Amino acid sequence: MSFDFTRRRFLVELPAAIALLLADRGVARARSAPAHPTPRAGITGARVLTRQQLAATPKFIPLFDSVREIPQVIDGIHCNCGCTDPPRFYSLLSCYEDTGMARECYICQGQARLAVRLHKEGKSLDQIRSAIDAKFG
Amino acid sequence: MRFRVALVPLLVLPLPLTAQIRASEMGVMSQTIDGTKLTVEYSRPRARGRDPLFGTKAVQWDEVWTPGANYATTLEVDKNIKLNGKPVPKGKYSVWMVVKKTGDWTMVLDPRVRLYHMEHPESTAAQIRFPAKVEKIAFTDVLTWSMPELRMSGGKLVMDWERARVAMDVEVEPSLVMTLPASEASPYLGQYTFIDHDSTGKAGKVSAFTITHEDGTLKGRWTPDDPYMKKFALVRIAPDWFAPGVYDEKGQIYEVLKPDVVLEFNRAQGQVSGFVMRLGDDNLWGTATRKR
Repeated sequence: MSFDFTRRRFLVELPAAIALLLADRGVARARSAPAHPTPRAGITGARVLTRQQLAATPKFIPLFDSVREIPQVIDGIHCNCGCTDPPRFYSLLSCYEDTGMARECYICQGQARLAVRLHKEGKSLDQIRSAIDAKFG
Repeated sequence: MRFRVALVPLLVLPLPLTAQIRASEMGVMSQTIDGTKLTVEYSRPRARGRDPLFGTKAVQWDEVWTPGANYATTLEVDKNIKLNGKPVPKGKYSVWMVVKKTGDWTMVLDPRVRLYHMEHPESTAAQIRFPAKVEKIAFTDVLTWSMPELRMSGGKLVMDWERARVAMDVEVEPSLVMTLPASEASPYLGQYTFIDHDSTGKAGKVSAFTITHEDGTLKGRWTPDDPYMKKFALVRIAPDWFAPGVYDEKGQIYEVLKPDVVLEFNRAQGQVSGFVMRLGDDNLWGTATRKR
């Protein structure tokens, strides 16, 4: 097996990209994630960016659509890239609202894809949180 | 009256922050190792032509000396560590050294942080004391703390000044266990057929993948070797989930690719049947099926 060059470059350059992203936000990524937030009562996906709002980055439309469908799950997850540190954002769901910063952060993307996948497999919010902590914590 | 009016702006306008040129400017050395952060804050004295310094009026033999100037140098650790094998609980300490003409010096960590350099602390039960070797090095003008050596679970914390180097071995609490007992490794051992997937998920190249258990560690490798990963450790991060640990030329793991790459094993009737390899964004890298 030999690495696909694009993928290799992706893996090699990833840490630098993350560092730049975090430095830009002035936050540090914690090794162990703080406690996950409690999903807010009555939370909806109404503020998740729409297909029209993602016209410039259409490859993210399926991901944002998936997040919009399970706000009660995504709102119960802490984002380990640091962007959800209070008071700025509440949960991983916040990364998919307003400016849709998840488009620029592979941690936000990875956590949401994992959450969506495990939710489809019938996993509970606690099980999803454990998996996210294992991989991203 | 006119004079008083003229003074008013002087009284109410904020004064600019004053810069100050100091003989021993403040410095900070900070290093994170596997999520444990060590920070040394210190004033940095210069030799200013004084040579030697140790064993003179500047720093006398047997003095309890802070390796810095002004207020005592401090060491802060945000998790428990070991220094030269001595447990150092999470916290902040003032740092002192008992300077010896011959033999090891004695490191002293005192929980009283804000001590002036003249307040040489008496020995107390609350202090952490341990010996530290002194090496002779090329002349260093400015007292310097650094961590010139790093490894997965520690490194060397070093103080250089004049011709003395005091180097301490640092051990942090590892976040992951690299080894796996044979009984827990055996379900994963064997040959697999690995199918690469491109960024659209389309299946591509097929290769062989082997999992072995060597030196107490679960290891994986492609055939032929992947030039970057070569034979890598499989570090368990959750039940049936593993992250690759990449080895350096000395056989030491220097990086665990978490969350960048994760192998998620599947089971059929309780037996490991294969795995999927996913990237940090959870997209598929490849799938593997166990050979019978």
